Amino acid sequence: MPNALELTGIRKSFDGFAALTEAHVSARWGEVHALLGENGAGKSSLMNIAAGLYAPEAGQLLVDDNAVRFAGPRDAAKHRIGMVHQHFKLVRPFTVAQNILLTAPPPAEFQSHGERLREIERDIRNKASELGFDIDPSKRIDALSIAEQQRVEILKVLLAGARILILDEPTAVLTDQEASRLLQTVQGLARAGAAVVLVTHKMADVKTYANRVTVMRGGRTVATLRPDEASVADLVKLTVGESIATQGFQASATSRGPVRLSVRGLRTPASPEGRRVLDGVDLELHAGEIYGLAGVGGNGQGELAGAIMGLPGEATEGEIRLEGHGDLKTMAASARRGIGIAAIPADRYGLALAGGLSVAENYAIGRVHTGRYGPVWRLRRGRIQSDTQEAVRAFDVQGVRSVAQKAALLSGGNAQKLVLAREFGKSPTLVLAHSPSRGLDVRASAEVHARLRAARDSGAAVLLISEDLDEVLQLADRVGVMTRGRIAGEFAQPADRQAIGQAMVDHG
Amino acid sequence: MSGSIVLNWLASTPDFAVPYALAALGLIISERAGVLSLGAEGLMLVGALAGIGAQIAIGQPAVSLVLAMLAASMVSVLFAVMVIWLRVNQVIAGLALVFFCQGLTALVGSMADWTNHATEGIGAMGLWPLSMLPGVGRLFEQNAMVWLTLPIFGAVAWFFTRTSTGLRLRAVGENPQAADAAGIRVTAWRFAAVLAGSALVGLAGAYISVVSTKLWIAGMTGGRGWIAVGLVIFARWSPWKALAGAVLFGCIEALIPQLAAAGVQLPQYFVMMTPYAVTLGVMVWVALSRRGADEEPGALGQPYVREERR
Amino acid sequence: MAEAALAADVAHPPKTPPLAGRRYALEIRQHMAWRWQALILAAALLVGFAISAAILVAAGVPADELANEFVMQTFFDGQNFRAVLFQAAPMILVGLAGSIAFRARFWNLGLEGQMIWGAIGATTVSMWQIGPENLRLPLMFAAAIGCGLLWVLGPSWLKLKLGVNEIISTLMLNYMAANFLLHLVYGSWKDPKDNFPYSPQFRAFERLPELGAGVGSSILLAGVVALLAWWLVSVSRVGLYLRFVDANPRVAHANGVPVRRTIYGAVLLSGAMAGLAGFAVVAGQEGRLTQAFYQGYGFSGILIAFLARNNPLAATVVALLVAALFVTGRSLQVFYQVPFSMVQLIQAVIVVCVASSDFFIRHRLRRVGGEAAA
Repeated sequence: MPNALELTGIRKSFDGFAALTEAHVSARWGEVHALLGENGAGKSSLMNIAAGLYAPEAGQLLVDDNAVRFAGPRDAAKHRIGMVHQHFKLVRPFTVAQNILLTAPPPAEFQSHGERLREIERDIRNKASELGFDIDPSKRIDALSIAEQQRVEILKVLLAGARILILDEPTAVLTDQEASRLLQTVQGLARAGAAVVLVTHKMADVKTYANRVTVMRGGRTVATLRPDEASVADLVKLTVGESIATQGFQASATSRGPVRLSVRGLRTPASPEGRRVLDGVDLELHAGEIYGLAGVGGNGQGELAGAIMGLPGEATEGEIRLEGHGDLKTMAASARRGIGIAAIPADRYGLALAGGLSVAENYAIGRVHTGRYGPVWRLRRGRIQSDTQEAVRAFDVQGVRSVAQKAALLSGGNAQKLVLAREFGKSPTLVLAHSPSRGLDVRASAEVHARLRAARDSGAAVLLISEDLDEVLQLADRVGVMTRGRIAGEFAQPADRQAIGQAMVDHG
Repeated sequence: MSGSIVLNWLASTPDFAVPYALAALGLIISERAGVLSLGAEGLMLVGALAGIGAQIAIGQPAVSLVLAMLAASMVSVLFAVMVIWLRVNQVIAGLALVFFCQGLTALVGSMADWTNHATEGIGAMGLWPLSMLPGVGRLFEQNAMVWLTLPIFGAVAWFFTRTSTGLRLRAVGENPQAADAAGIRVTAWRFAAVLAGSALVGLAGAYISVVSTKLWIAGMTGGRGWIAVGLVIFARWSPWKALAGAVLFGCIEALIPQLAAAGVQLPQYFVMMTPYAVTLGVMVWVALSRRGADEEPGALGQPYVREERR
Repeated sequence: MAEAALAADVAHPPKTPPLAGRRYALEIRQHMAWRWQALILAAALLVGFAISAAILVAAGVPADELANEFVMQTFFDGQNFRAVLFQAAPMILVGLAGSIAFRARFWNLGLEGQMIWGAIGATTVSMWQIGPENLRLPLMFAAAIGCGLLWVLGPSWLKLKLGVNEIISTLMLNYMAANFLLHLVYGSWKDPKDNFPYSPQFRAFERLPELGAGVGSSILLAGVVALLAWWLVSVSRVGLYLRFVDANPRVAHANGVPVRRTIYGAVLLSGAMAGLAGFAVVAGQEGRLTQAFYQGYGFSGILIAFLARNNPLAATVVALLVAALFVTGRSLQVFYQVPFSMVQLIQAVIVVCVASSDFFIRHRLRRVGGEAAA
């Protein structure tokens, strides 16, 4: 069977960091080919090369068995390759039709702009109904849901003439229901003759929908096989490289203590359409427990985390009471750090670390307010240096040649460990962890989880917010589900996964 | 106030409004493509000087205006190279451009001895039949550039809303990643937008020197370029709103000599503060009404690199 | 359904020839060693000076005289050197003012307006004879700081509270301050003795004293402020806060940095320094309030801060060099009829060169891809 798309021997680095060292993958016409690997394995980078966005340093690209070289995305489009990225490349204030006009092939004969738009709208409606969904071409992108925007992206590449489709982690932002619908549609496209590359880290999707799978690890291709010939355990082993005993749920050694944090009726102001991002959140967090808040992203988790951290512009109604300190609403973020609230935000370089500053500075900022590093008029740099070195050692932060180097040079996992070193160095009473193992490999994730458990065991109250249901089920003593800005249900451990999944999609 | 004062005031307003309008329009073109152009004040000076220089040498106003546009475009190439290719911070580059142009025009103007050298302007054109009306007919006797401004605005507005090319330019300014993925050459489009926009800004400056005052003095734009930058924010990047804002500022500036003629005694220098105070007021008003954020081009002021990881 | 959708689209493309040739990719560099940065900066300055020299020659300054004027006359002639020190005092102050504000991500382009108000404040104390003689000068000093600080309070409040762009607001206030100054010196404060547009002369005890050998004490004042700025930025905790605010205000806030207070503090300090620069000029150099004393300091302040990368000690050195440029510019004006705007042009050329050279520090060009397979 001929190969629609083939990449061999690809090498690519970014500023000295080798993202791909010996990568290859091939996709045949009429198949769904999964590209499986952990975060950071290089899947997206490899596919960005196929889509013409990056140029490889070595290796070959073949389309339909012809060697090609792409100078840019347009060349890839000419070879009928279309990619749907994780971060959609849509112009938000434009309508669906306007966005698709940007990528549609130029008309054979002269058409006025208005005519072109109308023709494209017709094409959109036709193609959408062929694929089995509904899209209003005159709606603006920022008025569409994430799933709808993704459909626009797929329409975009199909209408641009793509026969080789690359989908980069398409189910990451979808509910289970939306995800299966999408993958079924994709399967249909393959059956009609297209070649589909599905980049994913979800084994279940690979087993259900892929004809073949290529496993990548650490920038190189490890194996190519048929999913029905391998078990999930085999796939895990190939992906991760060794059998790491992923711990199942471990109940806490000690019983939980009194209520540490109590959130009541937390609300954000209503938008003009009457929707609130946070719509009356009630939850109680005890000392010595991990409360896992599950839910699909975008349901208010970020805003809840921000409200507890004390970020500006968050909730205006309701209260957040911390044991011994009353209502936190009036307390500034700086003060909250001082009373033992530790935060591990989801947005590492947007909220936790300043990439352009040194490792030492990023560490020191956690405790400088307490006066440990000198009074306001004098900073004790020597102590900062030694404290940071000690913390780097204790938390196994790799890649730190000197604590004066920029924090941005750390890899994802090590940056997260630096954040942990900073936050846990203060023996916190409340830990807020939002997607703490996002972007980390299995080993780093395990370390993070161990730290969270240790914090719980020493009496802290831990609020774990995560879109990864596996992570929540492994760690939490109690599980809550957040949808549409409120807590839709709470479950004790051992929890029924199906029930939780159901609660995540139900819209109260 | 007698009717003739009001008529005088309204009749002189377009002359003051045109520079603001054209400068704002030029800025809108470049900012819609995502390039924050703070160098307007400098480019207006270049246009003003080039226009007068050409007038002194050739004496043909139309040609002088075109040459002024070319001169401003050429100087803007320096700015475009800095912010688009070399990815210099757009604020620094804009400021550097202003001071570069201020120094350069003052130097060239004095060395070529063009300062205060009076030239011929262009005559007034009546808009028949409206100019035949008694009394108000005077309002419709304006010079050719005033009349030309309207179709220029129309052309640019049509370009942005009703052409595919305009759509592509807007895409470059809203989301260059998306535009790049769609095969649009972001760099080339931004270059084109800066050059085209700068030509209009240069034209605005040339209007002041060639048509309005008919001479050159160093620094004669007096901050109008900066006011135009504020005007674009006030107009939320829409050409027609910018025109309305320009008319507003034209009215204010035109009022000053009329009040003096009417014998109203106001401290001279406080009166000269008015355009700047109004600009400040306008910026505050925009911030208070808080509606401007939606229309701001999404990628305004940010340089674009394709191979940026993370 | 979906099957039929693509059936019509599947078509085999004609065999395309491979796209040959090398291509260069632009990458962002995460880090560059200090010595390379210094080298690139030096190269940029050299290019800037070369271009400036070419412009000067084109303007009529004989090429061989250039070195003489710039280096020998400025630094080795006693009188000129004193003039440079005099000029350096307000330069250092506006350079520091710019640096501190920019560290807080606040584009304080209103340095000239704040200078003007600082001078007006000091002159007010003199005109209305506020306070006893021995306290007059300190009161003028305090008034200058206060007025400069107040003139930047508006824009900083507007930015932090309402999000008003500070570039436009500070610039507009510049023009308004300049007009108010003209209003004063052409109006009620005009010197009755000779009817020129400046204020009456300050009395002897209202002027900054000389230190001896003709060197004014304003330079000492500037030096003290520079040390203060250095302490703030490099020794105190506020310096760490400023670094976080400059790097990423969101991260700063999330980590407990008092962002608003830090920004206000930095910006108000910047205004105060600029006001002090005004005081240094009118009480140190001019001895009265004149109509154009502030011209050129605004951009100079920005230039100094930019070249010094907002570092106070480096700013002091750069300010000295800019002061030398100003003094040389004046003598070029006298001896070769080169207009003073030349100085502004040279400053702009240097900024353009250094800003452009940053590109090489932050990016690298990489050759990618080998030859296409046959």
